[in-house]
Amino acid sequence: MTRVDVAITGLGVVTRAVTGDSAALGAFLASPSGLGDGAHGAVAGGNLVDATEARRLSRVCQLTIAAARIALREARLDPGVGLGLVVGTEFGDLASTHAFADGFLARGPAGLSALLFPNTVMNTMIATTAIAVGAREMAVTLNAPTVAGELAVARAAAAVGRGRVPAMLAGGVDESDPVVERELTHLGLGTERRGEGATFVVLEPREAARARGATVLGTISGAAWRALPARPWGVGRTRRSSAIEAALRTAGARPSDVGWVYASGSRDEARDRWEAHVLREALGTKPLVSSLGQMLGRDAGLGVLRVGAAAWTARSGLLPVMNGTTRVERVRSGRGLVHGLARGGAHVALVVDAA
Amino acid sequence: MKRVVITGLGAASPYGAGVVAYWKGLAAGLCAIRDLTLIETDGFRCRIGAEVVGPLAGSARRTRADRLAIGAAGEALADAGLGTRDRRAAALVVGAVGGGMLEAEAWYWQPTREVARPRTLRAVLPSAHAEAVASRFRLEGPRHTVVTACSSGAVAIAEAAELIADGVVDVAVAGGVDSITRICYMGFNALKLLDPTPCRPFDRDRRGMSIGEGAGFMVLESEARARARRARVYATLAGHGMTTDAFHVTAPDPEGDGMVRAMRAALRQGGAVPSEVQYANAHGTGTPQNDRIEARALASVFGEGGLLVSSSKSMIGHTMAAAGSLEAIATVLALEHGLVPPTANLVTPDPEVPFDCVAHAARPAPLACAISNSFGFGGQNVTLLFRRGVA
Repeated sequence: MTRVDVAITGLGVVTRAVTGDSAALGAFLASPSGLGDGAHGAVAGGNLVDATEARRLSRVCQLTIAAARIALREARLDPGVGLGLVVGTEFGDLASTHAFADGFLARGPAGLSALLFPNTVMNTMIATTAIAVGAREMAVTLNAPTVAGELAVARAAAAVGRGRVPAMLAGGVDESDPVVERELTHLGLGTERRGEGATFVVLEPREAARARGATVLGTISGAAWRALPARPWGVGRTRRSSAIEAALRTAGARPSDVGWVYASGSRDEARDRWEAHVLREALGTKPLVSSLGQMLGRDAGLGVLRVGAAAWTARSGLLPVMNGTTRVERVRSGRGLVHGLARGGAHVALVVDAA
Repeated sequence: MKRVVITGLGAASPYGAGVVAYWKGLAAGLCAIRDLTLIETDGFRCRIGAEVVGPLAGSARRTRADRLAIGAAGEALADAGLGTRDRRAAALVVGAVGGGMLEAEAWYWQPTREVARPRTLRAVLPSAHAEAVASRFRLEGPRHTVVTACSSGAVAIAEAAELIADGVVDVAVAGGVDSITRICYMGFNALKLLDPTPCRPFDRDRRGMSIGEGAGFMVLESEARARARRARVYATLAGHGMTTDAFHVTAPDPEGDGMVRAMRAALRQGGAVPSEVQYANAHGTGTPQNDRIEARALASVFGEGGLLVSSSKSMIGHTMAAAGSLEAIATVLALEHGLVPPTANLVTPDPEVPFDCVAHAARPAPLACAISNSFGFGGQNVTLLFRRGVA
């Protein structure tokens, strides 16, 4: 089985800051401004879920479906060709889990909702999205702290690149949860900026995309995920990144080819410092690093949004950089890296090129 | 594509710790479904399940599910005889659903909820098991956690097989784990899917499932790697199929279309024709709907009566994320021993199930090829196709 380059042919973003396709994301990144209305408002206002879905589905499922639909619409892809799904999430539908438990705690067995129970399983977003978009090939939910979104894209790229599935929708989604926020603060992680929303990309073999006349937004030419040694939830000391090495090797690239990086920095200072060391060890000090998490907040959707942003940077040669103030820097267009590193050592690297 | 073989097995089951206890229980047709002790059952119609008995591996400070995973993964690694260097590069894929929910529930259930202990929160996510196992055994290859509801354990094995087949790694540890949780127990009660007596898959009078818990892990290797180090090979994972119904969040497609596509994909990838497959370890939950639709799907692929079918869930309950991997281990051991584990509690075979479901007692059968089916909420279907030894 020969590996093929994987094209990004569609993007769907539903976040507090930006909702729309690759054009909307590009406009936002070129001129990142203040935050807009809540992500849920963006879903409802854009008619991205129908009335039945709005009534029956949880908020996080609605976010997921909305982002998936925008991505598919941009890709102009018929799910009938054989569409798979990979969704990354850190917390799943936690609001429904709370509601389910609270029903019992308030009223005993009579307070349990049979309708809510399926939502307590993290694959509820993928199940409802598969139904909504007609995806009938493999569908896998990946759970990981910090890197779930980029991991989902890497896993989906592997499936497409090896010819296992004709096309994949790869996404990430999380919603804000007050219990999580409060307890993370108690854990001393309250300084980290957390966000919410959903982002999807459509991936297909580059040649197949071109053959059907699709617009190729960018190419994933290498993707890998590994684990650096670290205690659970801990920050490690190893700086050599086998994931970056493997992703570059797959792409046939050298470290010096990487012109810029979208990293997973999010104001978790110990982890951000570790990632900076890992990137410096792998790439030297040359590439400019963007950490959108410091502006948008971290959630599983952001990992996918950064892949979409990387495709935009590869095309435009523009990179939004946060360093006290937000500004847009001109960088070398073409090849860049999306990198994610989690407490506990899970890390992901994707080499992204222009179309 | 590299061929994938199984060189290590590990289990923590309702029969206790270890693969030997697991196989002994299955081969004897012993039903391990008893009164639940881990959680409160007052006010519920069903009060039984299959809990793991005996001491657990790992520190008592870890969650129950982490300890189940560490025990089973550690046994699989030791069984495979992997050295430190092999382990370091190995992939780890874990199927999980509940994470450390059992301990988190104990906190959430408090009448006046105090600040959670950091350890409880850190361990609540399904991905915590992979972190615990990787940290304990120093696994630094690709690592990910899959959540596909009740098929999670089987999906983990399929995902690991792809990493080896694609040449990403030579060795992988994969499996599923879940402990019994209040939310799971209450949820299936709310759906009215639990039988108040031990479940009776494929019985005409079946009334639902029984919940269980456990962990099952395998070491998978490229055939070339296993040969080079002269490893013992239990079986070849010749093929797998993963599909989605895209039909309903909890109910399977009534025609079993997704199940059929998963089984056919596994056959296609494994280069097998239906007549080669002699045994199916069924998903076989014991719910009227699942068993009827699975039987229909099996008949569609293999023909009526075309193979022996049994359900391990009749003995160890539905172990959720562990079900797919524990049942894959049962399938591998059935090939290894030439013995089909039975379907316990099967008194009156359902006329809508046109298969010999191996009632009560295990049956000797020289097996060369078998499948293990796993299906989950959301229509998440997986079939694993095994061949005895090195195919």
